[in-house]
Amino acid sequence: MPVVTLPVINRRRFVGWLTALCFCFAAWEVAAQDIRLPNAAESVKFGVIGDSGTGDKPQYEVAAQMLRYRAKFVFDRVIMLGDNIYGGQTPADINAKFTQPYKGLVDAGVTFYAALGNHDSVENRLVPGFHMGGERYYTHATGNVRFFVIDTDLLDPKQIEWLEAGLKAPTEDWKIAYFHHPLYSDGGTHGSDVALRVVLEPLFLKYGVTVVFAGHDHIYERITPQKGITHFVSGSAGQLRRGDLRRTAMTAAGFDQDCSFMLVEVVKNDLSFQAVSRTGLVVDAGTIHKP
Amino acid sequence: MKKKIFRFPLLVVDSAFVLPIGCALALAWANLRPESYYRFSHALEFPVNEIGLAFLFAVMAKEVLEATLKGGDLHPWRRAALPFAAAAGGVIVPVIIYLAFLNGLAEPEPRLAGAWAVTCAIDVTLCYLIGGLIFGRHPAIPFLLLTAIASNAIGLSAIATLAPENMRSVALGLALVAVGMAVSVAMRRRHVSSFWPYIALGGGLSWYGMFLAGAHPALALVPIVPFMPHAKRDEGLFVDPSPKAKDALSRFERWWTVPIQAILFLFGLVNAGVPLHGIDTGMWAIPVATLIGRPIGVLLGAEAAIAAGLHRIPRVGWRELIVVGCTASIGLTMALYFSTASLAIGSLRVQSQTGALLTTWGALLAFGAAWLLGVGRWRVADRAAPASAHVP
Repeated sequence: MPVVTLPVINRRRFVGWLTALCFCFAAWEVAAQDIRLPNAAESVKFGVIGDSGTGDKPQYEVAAQMLRYRAKFVFDRVIMLGDNIYGGQTPADINAKFTQPYKGLVDAGVTFYAALGNHDSVENRLVPGFHMGGERYYTHATGNVRFFVIDTDLLDPKQIEWLEAGLKAPTEDWKIAYFHHPLYSDGGTHGSDVALRVVLEPLFLKYGVTVVFAGHDHIYERITPQKGITHFVSGSAGQLRRGDLRRTAMTAAGFDQDCSFMLVEVVKNDLSFQAVSRTGLVVDAGTIHKP
Repeated sequence: MKKKIFRFPLLVVDSAFVLPIGCALALAWANLRPESYYRFSHALEFPVNEIGLAFLFAVMAKEVLEATLKGGDLHPWRRAALPFAAAAGGVIVPVIIYLAFLNGLAEPEPRLAGAWAVTCAIDVTLCYLIGGLIFGRHPAIPFLLLTAIASNAIGLSAIATLAPENMRSVALGLALVAVGMAVSVAMRRRHVSSFWPYIALGGGLSWYGMFLAGAHPALALVPIVPFMPHAKRDEGLFVDPSPKAKDALSRFERWWTVPIQAILFLFGLVNAGVPLHGIDTGMWAIPVATLIGRPIGVLLGAEAAIAAGLHRIPRVGWRELIVVGCTASIGLTMALYFSTASLAIGSLRVQSQTGALLTTWGALLAFGAAWLLGVGRWRVADRAAPASAHVP
């Protein structure tokens, strides 16, 4: 009887096969990602997540989807729109709700810049991974874009003074503001924060802020330009209120059926964006032209 | 013998109408035309809250000052000890409940913890009105008012001293407050009888000093009031000043009674406009803390003080203490002020303001508790003897 000899599978060969298999799967996954952005070589690219810090499966899945997209669209920073850590705020919580979910992105060289939400401890401004420089409100810039990170939980006169001085100064072409509470939103649970709007909007108009990102409502929504400013609500990178979007005349686009995040690219006078669901579906895309 | 009729002071009666009207208008306006409402309220917030309210606090300071005079409820100081102990209990328990509630929420609101002082706020005039309707002429009323004043004093001290801007400004500001007080003392020595110079000069310096120091200048007249010429004896807490009284403080109160109503109306209008939709769950922290914590805290504080050797107030047993605590859970005006004073514009303030409005349920709680426990106008006749048996 012939003796059948099975090929010897040593450990090194096994790891090699597994790596090849993973590579093929990753290549297929990347091919599935739908990039509707210019993806230019010399441009500012960033991601947007809001209300992310649950530590639950959907947050990890959104983070994984972001990592897959990054293989094709190499963004180097992510702006966080608040409620970055829900519930407990201990180092273990920060690990489970921030460090672990985004480990792949951070390892790939992505820097996170956080705004504080109502569920965040003010001490989170000291979390190194959030790059807040120990401040509740701050500014950061890349290329021709300057970001203004505002603490809308406590919009004290000192912060308003800081914001006005900051908005006057920059030489960058684009001024983008982001914070937690939306000035305009059709979210059924919270909706627009008009008290904040009457304070912030005049400053944005006066000093040429053209795009605003906020979270708080656990949906994705793009608002039709209000007085020339485009507002995005992107508060479902971990939390989701399915069916919470109450479409009105100011809803330009919206998605409330799954968690989502955004990818944004700024090329000269054009800001292109796309909103992506947890499963990789592009739910909105477009370009804002700055005259 | 002709029975004395319980009559509410003008300040209490008027403010019980104008403030709720202001609050109701604010709520309607903020929800129907939010942009115009918030533009209006943001523009008037500082003048109303930090200038107008200074006169209300001055009248309250006058009542406390006079209560320390001969015949007053705070004279001698030992008489004040029990309400202060009740106030301490009535502050500690709600603060504990408040913080526990915020942390116990399914989605905790850690940043609201900084506004714990709001739970100390008690609406003195509304408490007087509700307490008067329940108790009539009863020793529980001055006890309730003193507890409210002491509790507010604790909260105001916390708010005034939290997060000073910088030590140089604080030192300069405090120096100006001291100069204002010294000017008032000098005027009193020169027998200046009009209240205007005290308000304009002493009060002005004190106001600017507090503003510089980063404290709330609404309290500016509080350190000036003790140096204004006042009555020799106290007529009782919140008793309307006699038209014959010639001293500066009585004239001040007479002159300001009507303007204060306008200020209170504006205060309600400027501060009570909150959206009736979309507010986070943190808004429940204040009503839960005060409606549950205040009666328990007042009862525990007072009983602990009595157990430590203080005298029980005649006709104020544990049932009356619970009803007093329920009445003192109404924070409305003061809670709205504490909210705006401790939190800047933003969602946290809206949650706190909404919670402040919800504390008006304390009125229903007080009536319900009085009815259930047979207190005040529902007093059971056959319980009268045991209740008064506590009298030492």
